[in-house]
Amino acid sequence: MLPNPQEYLLLAPEILLASAGLLLLLAGAIGRGMGNRESAGVAMVSLFLTGFVLMRVHSVIPARLLILNGSFVLDGFSFFWKMLVLIATALTVLLSVRFVAEGSYRPSEYYSLLLLATSGMLFMASGYTLLTIWIGLETMALASYILAGYFKRERRSTEAAMKYFILGAMSSGILLYGISLLYGATGTIHLGDLSEALRGAQAQGSPLVPLGWLLLAAGLFFKVAVVPFHIWTPDVYVGAPTPVTAYLAVASKAASFAILLRIFYEGLGSLKVEWQTVVAIVAVITMIWGNVAALTQDNVKRMLAYSSIAHAGYVMIGVLVASEIGLWSVIFYLLTYTFVTMGAFGTVILLERREYAGETAADYAGLSRRSPFLAAMMLLFMIALTGIPPTGGFVGKFYLFAAAVEKGWTWVAIVGVLTSAVSLYYYFRIVLYMYLRDSDQTTPTPLHAPALVVAIAICAVATLALGIFPGPFIELAKHSLIPLPSP
Amino acid sequence: MFDWVHNVPILSILCYLPLAGALIVMFGMKSGQESAIRKFATGVVFVDFLLSIPLWFAFDRNGELFQFRESAPWIESIGVRYEVGIDGIALLLVLLTTLLGVLAFLSSWSAIHTREKEYYIFLLLLQTGMLGVFMAMDFFLFYVFWEVMLVPMYFLIGIWGGARRLYASIKFFLYTLAGSVLMLLGILALYFYNSGGLLGWKGLGNPPSFSITQFHEIGASIPPDLQFWIFLGLFFSFAIKVPMFPFHTWLPDAHVEAPTAGSVILAGVLLKMGTYGFIRFSLPILPNATVKLLPWMAGLSIIGIIYGALVAMAQKDMKKLVAYSSVSHLGFVMLGLFALNGPGLNGSVLQMINHGLSTGALFLLVGVIYERRHTRLISEYGGISAVMPLYATVFLIITMSSIGLPTLNGFVGEFTILVGAFQRTWWWGLLAAIGIVLGAAYMLWMYQRVFFGPLTNSENKDLKDLTGREILYLAPLVLLCFWIGLYPRPFFRILEKPINYVVAKVDPTYGTAVASAPIVSAPVAATPATTAPAAGE
Repeated sequence: MLPNPQEYLLLAPEILLASAGLLLLLAGAIGRGMGNRESAGVAMVSLFLTGFVLMRVHSVIPARLLILNGSFVLDGFSFFWKMLVLIATALTVLLSVRFVAEGSYRPSEYYSLLLLATSGMLFMASGYTLLTIWIGLETMALASYILAGYFKRERRSTEAAMKYFILGAMSSGILLYGISLLYGATGTIHLGDLSEALRGAQAQGSPLVPLGWLLLAAGLFFKVAVVPFHIWTPDVYVGAPTPVTAYLAVASKAASFAILLRIFYEGLGSLKVEWQTVVAIVAVITMIWGNVAALTQDNVKRMLAYSSIAHAGYVMIGVLVASEIGLWSVIFYLLTYTFVTMGAFGTVILLERREYAGETAADYAGLSRRSPFLAAMMLLFMIALTGIPPTGGFVGKFYLFAAAVEKGWTWVAIVGVLTSAVSLYYYFRIVLYMYLRDSDQTTPTPLHAPALVVAIAICAVATLALGIFPGPFIELAKHSLIPLPSP
Repeated sequence: MFDWVHNVPILSILCYLPLAGALIVMFGMKSGQESAIRKFATGVVFVDFLLSIPLWFAFDRNGELFQFRESAPWIESIGVRYEVGIDGIALLLVLLTTLLGVLAFLSSWSAIHTREKEYYIFLLLLQTGMLGVFMAMDFFLFYVFWEVMLVPMYFLIGIWGGARRLYASIKFFLYTLAGSVLMLLGILALYFYNSGGLLGWKGLGNPPSFSITQFHEIGASIPPDLQFWIFLGLFFSFAIKVPMFPFHTWLPDAHVEAPTAGSVILAGVLLKMGTYGFIRFSLPILPNATVKLLPWMAGLSIIGIIYGALVAMAQKDMKKLVAYSSVSHLGFVMLGLFALNGPGLNGSVLQMINHGLSTGALFLLVGVIYERRHTRLISEYGGISAVMPLYATVFLIITMSSIGLPTLNGFVGEFTILVGAFQRTWWWGLLAAIGIVLGAAYMLWMYQRVFFGPLTNSENKDLKDLTGREILYLAPLVLLCFWIGLYPRPFFRILEKPINYVVAKVDPTYGTAVASAPIVSAPVAATPATTAPAAGE
């Protein structure tokens, strides 16, 4: 059965973005290639266009539409994640402009890869068969491996790319193996059919099912970087060029959570009781280990890497409870997390002098004197990451813990609140250096990258807006629900 | 004359005026204009104080419990509202906050010389946070203010503090944050019980709300075991803030390292948030758990009273001595609260104010001499009264107020608390009275060592007596100490309604049947807790 050609019109955003990425790649290969600013401009414009087309597409379709023989779904849920990764990518572009200019590598390749990775994410958000999801995931992953190694003459960057590639490829393999086992047991890769088939008597007795979904889950846990599948994160985050780190920590994580929710809720819904136990354990050890390991980090990027692990642990609470509040809270939390983390990495980038210098906590000494603006911004982001009002970070955590308490996962919530109190210590270590210590350096830090400053300011405003007026955003999250797994 | 306050959102204005001031200083003033910033910031809190005075006159003592209410939807999907209002208890604490705010700002003029712009910004933000805590009538809003306030306090200790400021600031922050996150879970449990239910408990099915008055109403219907857990969650948060023994260890560090204004606000206002939390939330919302845990609460309070006093006696540093005296005094306040009767609660709230006034004044006084000599060691002084007679006089008055000499405020508060404690359980009162004796001992002993005796240390020979500005910020405190000491009636009058309300919520049997079985029964059956209360009231 061939799909209706008109259905491809509904794929316009994905097609547009992927074509823009390929065009940029082509433009970079001709002659001396395209300049940095021009490439960034093209990337920004295509991201905006994609967002615009995406909104058009979603204004004409019904609440939930399955196209391409049921392998691609258009609903509020996919719309939210697509918009989120587009925003995150746009912020990444703003974060990258100066960084790429200093790197003396071909700039258009960089932006091209960014767009290609993002188009993979769009497919992930809408994928409704395990294979569509997997292909989207691989598109994203392959582009990300190269992005992590973009500074090809830097040892750390190459090392990061290599580690990321090997571990990432292995996890993709595990994921695929899990998919094949589930297919073997149920005869389908379509999420809707899968959930039906798993209820059937034939699948109930099959030993392939538990093995299949566990492997699938392991692959997904690797992508969202939760303990014990987090080992790659710190090294990759530290080694990769910082804008890429921000991109991996935010966009890649968000898209991975989108498919995790989609697969767990819609595909594996009938196994809820089983996976809830696993997710609860993973959430708790992730919150504990992520926060404890972050305590001793002196490198700010590494600290943020562990903090991103810890935050993935908090988000897992929302996945775990499988309730309406749980879903909003995941959506709201990742929305906030996007702006806060992008802002924090943006500040790190602005302070990095040359590629990797300026990454230790001590480099932040006396920042409040040298650049009150930057220090205030970083303070805001650290407050938000800790989860203190009046920032979006607080409201996000509030919802997650509320979801846990409501559904009786109080012990998980207790671990959550206590570890977030622990996190204060390492986030405020940066604040301590910025405000409480003086440095020998007294020359003001110049704000010489306008795009970066704009990005940081956007993130700061969004962080506060999400904290003080969360109402509209909650309404937005309410429109992004997917069917909840039934017990 | 003051009726106009009913027509404006007075509480919001009071609360956000310092915030607006902070924003103006932040964006509108340059670091070069220290003197302008100082005057502007102090002006803002002074106006704030002036605006808060009409509350006292316009508050209807016979009217509704909560007045000057403002209410607007905030996060509708979960029923969070922006709701503020004050009862008599909150009114007194708001006035205390605005008053001490002005004094703290005035005292900073000469004490703070580095990074003044940031200093006044943080101090202003702190003021907004504290006022918000006392005004909030929505538990979510309360929590927001409760946590927001930690950040500026962290900076005040961490940037302008003493030698060990880095340690003290993060310790303060970690302790208080760890406590408050547990409160968050308690709030959530209340919220879900009020609406849809949680865990195994079937909810009441009310529309989702964080309204404090709503929680007050459902309080009695919450099952005892759930009450116990919620009480525990709230307890850690409030007990750390008070601080109750054994959660007090952050306090001496924070107090000693904080700059004078920080200590004044810390002791004067911040600690009251803990006791306020108990009286506003724990007692009326969780009566069953309160009664069940009464022996523990009273026990910790009494230990706090005696322990704080003994440790204070051993201190060599004046500021540390005052800090430990706070532990002891707050123990009194807690004991009064957990007497769960009219006198106990009345005395307790009054003592919150008294402690704010007298300890605030003590920190200011210690700050005065510290600015002159840059040491707070008691042994460095002796015979100061000869060179600083005025200072010695004020210090003596405040000392007397602190140890509870009749005609001064401390006496009224402590005496009323003791009446309440004796009525509840006679030996609580007895043990607490020992604390008063010890309190007199360490305060008078310090006074003697600092002010009397020969003037041996030559560095003290040329100490200047109080300046005009110092008199200006000490005088209101001294006057208030006398006012409350001589004529406390207006204060008790304004507290009458809210206290009766709390007593009715937590212990409905009180007052109706004085001689009936006291509520402390099974858990402390071994003690003679059941003696009939004195028929004094």
